[in-house]
Amino acid sequence: MTPEKWRANGNKMVQLTLPKNSKIHQGKEWNPPPKDAEEGRWRAYRVYRYDPDTDENPRVDTYWVDTFDCGPMVLDALLWIKNNVDSTLTFRRSCREGVCGSCSMNIDGTNTLACTMHAEEAQKETIAIYPLPHMPVVKDLVPDLTHFYAQHRSIEPWLQTDSPTPGKEWRQSREDREKLDGLYECILCACCTTSCPSYWWNGDRYLGPATLLQAYRWMSDSRDEHTGERLDNVEDPFKLYRCRTILNCTKACPKGLNPGKSIASIRALMVERGE
Amino acid sequence: MRTPLSQARGLGAAHKGPETFWRQRVTAVANIPLVLFLIFSILLHIGSDYATVKAYLAHPIVAVLMLGLVLSVTVHARIGVKEIVEDYIQSDAIRMPVMLLSSFFVIGAGLACAIAIVKISLGA
Amino acid sequence: MAEDKLNGAPSVNGRAYPIVDHDYDVVVIGAGGSGLRAVVGCSEAGLRTACITKVFPTRSHTVAAQGGIAASLGNMHPDDWRWHMYDTVKGSDWLGDQDAIEYLCRHAPQAVYELEHWGMPFSRTDQGKILQRAFGGMSVDFGNGQAMRTCAAADRTGHAMLHTMYGQALRHSAEFFIEYFAIDLIMDDEGVCRGVMALCLQDGSLHRFKSKQVILATGGYGRAYFSCTSAHICTGDGNAMVLRAGLPLQDMEFVQFHPTGVYGAGVLITEGARGEGGFLTNGEGERFMERYAPTAKDLASRDVVSRAITIEIREGRGAGPNKEHVYLNLSHLDPKLLAERLPGISESARIFSGVDVTREPIPVLPTVHYNMGGIPTNMHGEVIRPTKGDPDALMPGLMAVGEAACTSVHGANRLGSNSLIDLVVFGRAAALRCAEIAGNGKASAPLPKDAGEKAIARLDHFRYADGDIPTAELRLKMQKTMQTDCAVFRTKESLQQGVKGIREVWAQAKDLKVTDRSLVWNTDLVETLELDNLICQAAVTVNGALNREESRGAHAREDFPKRDDENWMKHTLAYADFDKYTVSLGERPVHSYTLSNEIAYIEPKERVY
Repeated sequence: MTPEKWRANGNKMVQLTLPKNSKIHQGKEWNPPPKDAEEGRWRAYRVYRYDPDTDENPRVDTYWVDTFDCGPMVLDALLWIKNNVDSTLTFRRSCREGVCGSCSMNIDGTNTLACTMHAEEAQKETIAIYPLPHMPVVKDLVPDLTHFYAQHRSIEPWLQTDSPTPGKEWRQSREDREKLDGLYECILCACCTTSCPSYWWNGDRYLGPATLLQAYRWMSDSRDEHTGERLDNVEDPFKLYRCRTILNCTKACPKGLNPGKSIASIRALMVERGE
Repeated sequence: MRTPLSQARGLGAAHKGPETFWRQRVTAVANIPLVLFLIFSILLHIGSDYATVKAYLAHPIVAVLMLGLVLSVTVHARIGVKEIVEDYIQSDAIRMPVMLLSSFFVIGAGLACAIAIVKISLGA
Repeated sequence: MAEDKLNGAPSVNGRAYPIVDHDYDVVVIGAGGSGLRAVVGCSEAGLRTACITKVFPTRSHTVAAQGGIAASLGNMHPDDWRWHMYDTVKGSDWLGDQDAIEYLCRHAPQAVYELEHWGMPFSRTDQGKILQRAFGGMSVDFGNGQAMRTCAAADRTGHAMLHTMYGQALRHSAEFFIEYFAIDLIMDDEGVCRGVMALCLQDGSLHRFKSKQVILATGGYGRAYFSCTSAHICTGDGNAMVLRAGLPLQDMEFVQFHPTGVYGAGVLITEGARGEGGFLTNGEGERFMERYAPTAKDLASRDVVSRAITIEIREGRGAGPNKEHVYLNLSHLDPKLLAERLPGISESARIFSGVDVTREPIPVLPTVHYNMGGIPTNMHGEVIRPTKGDPDALMPGLMAVGEAACTSVHGANRLGSNSLIDLVVFGRAAALRCAEIAGNGKASAPLPKDAGEKAIARLDHFRYADGDIPTAELRLKMQKTMQTDCAVFRTKESLQQGVKGIREVWAQAKDLKVTDRSLVWNTDLVETLELDNLICQAAVTVNGALNREESRGAHAREDFPKRDDENWMKHTLAYADFDKYTVSLGERPVHSYTLSNEIAYIEPKERVY
């Protein structure tokens, strides 16, 4: 199913009948390790594959990674596979140091960044890698994040002021600046948003944790003069109030941020101005 | 053919939600003592006959607390059920009727309880 | 503004490639710091602007910049843009063009205030002003004492800046083409740049952008080396397009090694760590920088520190079991200061070398970090195509900004935190120039009939490449060659070997093998196109290095240990011959004048820290 069709379907994932090519098949095993391999040298990776050019359903392929020849991170393993076994394996990557947010995926059952997750941290001996859950898949581990980005755009993530702009900087106390810590560091990797069941169910209308964290980042900025309008824009049973305090978001965030707390803070601001 | 931003913005903000959210919290807090009182009342009257229980319920303080309980639970349940329906039922065609029916049921049950308490306390 | 019409699909090797056509005033390639600043500027000026980028804007490599952005705001002590200019000139080892450097330093404070007004979350002083920290090579009063000039948002300045500018681009409803890979420029018969061809990864469609101005903001090519702080996407695609168009690149032999890349992983530890009081020690626990730079010590310029570390390791005073690295010590700093000002690198050290910075030192090694060289431009970002009579002759229709450009403000060595300011100052300058050139509202002439066919042929060639060498294998060979033969210290022998090695790689590129034949998100193909881009840049780098028989800034020749202003006070120009796999070299004079009479040309002198 193309991302377009998927979105046209209303982004609804709790359905009695799943879309046609949702069923995942067992794929092939690419490079079984040599018979006389040393104990613990080769590690298996089971990786989700989807080729949009064929009509075939997604499959899960098995690759064996030579851990003696490969860096410690899961991204290193994926690159090792791409460089040594199967160059068609497709995933996003860029900075490899956890600041760009490209290589977010579901590894060993958790949404995280492949570049900052040590393969040793995986609970299971065979590491399973899937794309971020409940997003339309473009190819292999590449999800379509268009709607996620548009939601981020919808909260107007820029400073809004009406007072005359000063010749130098807007002054901001260190205490006020400190309020942005834990908020501005978001890398838009979507690990939190795609781990949220409420977003799986109502992602078409619920803004999700990442976007709400960003909304709160701008509400918290002492320089911003549009806090009221910002609150207005999310004052909605779906955009904001779909949060069920499941806190998967906070658990998933690879940067250690707390989107759940941000959402609670926005709700507190709503109560403060209304009650 | 709609742009991603148009889809993300949808119909805009309903400017609703805080009252519901707040009401749900307030009723949740109210429910704690009120439900404890209900449990206490039930335990107190295990084995009692009909007339004793009826007399107990007719006491003004008990009636007020019971009416409060019914009101609080009804409001709380109506919001809760609505949100569960919104979460789990995805088809718009089914969602609306289910929401109506569940609302009717919750409000109806609440009203029935309220009438019963009023009748008893007014000695009918 | 897409016209969205499918033309008679050009056919290459019997395969049809339908094209989607677009028409813009300005097309910016790249959405890092300089690209986004240009996009915002052009959008503000009312130009029809498109931004093509191979990754989502906030994933561009600017996001990884840590320490800060230099501007003489004077928030910590009195400061002057002239002092900043002096430091930059000295840092460049006098190879920088001083008119451009004056433009940079003069406009720096306003550029930082602009970012602040856009919402960038700078760290603050007690007075609520932007916090400024010490950085290498920054001085007050023309070299008399350490300056605190580097404005910081903790150690995530690039991240804060890039996200802020992405927000501004959204505010101006800039039109992005995200995850589009630019294949090649479209040149007409008169040698004018007329647009660019790009591949949309999402659906595999080809797009032909016609444009009055094309701005290349494609960044550096750190991935030509085996170990670099650069992201995987840093493949200098714009530089390679320029070489393919028969234009020269400038000063490519100057490759900056950052003194403190994490040993093994290569990820960056900001110079700000030393700016906040961190220091380097060798295997014997000695603070060796005191011997190399008695005054500035650990805050000497990056080339100086990188050479010092390399010498320490080479002379057997390295640390660790194999004596392969040195240590960066931060554990004497207040944990509160580390948490407030250096949280990002504390996290990186923990993740990538298992080090708790409050207790242990970080093992570090000089790592390829920045390319001073690039596409020669004037200070308005216009690309220079030198002719016999005019070394500053312009190339119509094409501009370059950021790390891709060689303006040249960084000369032979860039100072830390001068890169981010370069991005915004010259991104803005390029947009202003675009408004003058392309803002007349007139439509540009139609493209030639076969426009973009060469680019499609290039794409098709690699898509069906069926040789013997997988992309990863050849890439590794190139990277190892560069790492070994074109490193911190260079000799004639090593560079000759490097020239030979890269030439071999270049010739082997015709024998590449691509496995994925699809067009949708074909990263096998994209990596191959990127490798093809990298190889020619590696070639001009190593050839330029062999040619320059002196030591200047980041280019350290052991056989020519002194700077030689008599013979080498000039920019290198390098042209690539793609048929013969050779590089031909030329030269351009360094501008020996400033922009205004508020500061005189700073005469070359010995460079000591």
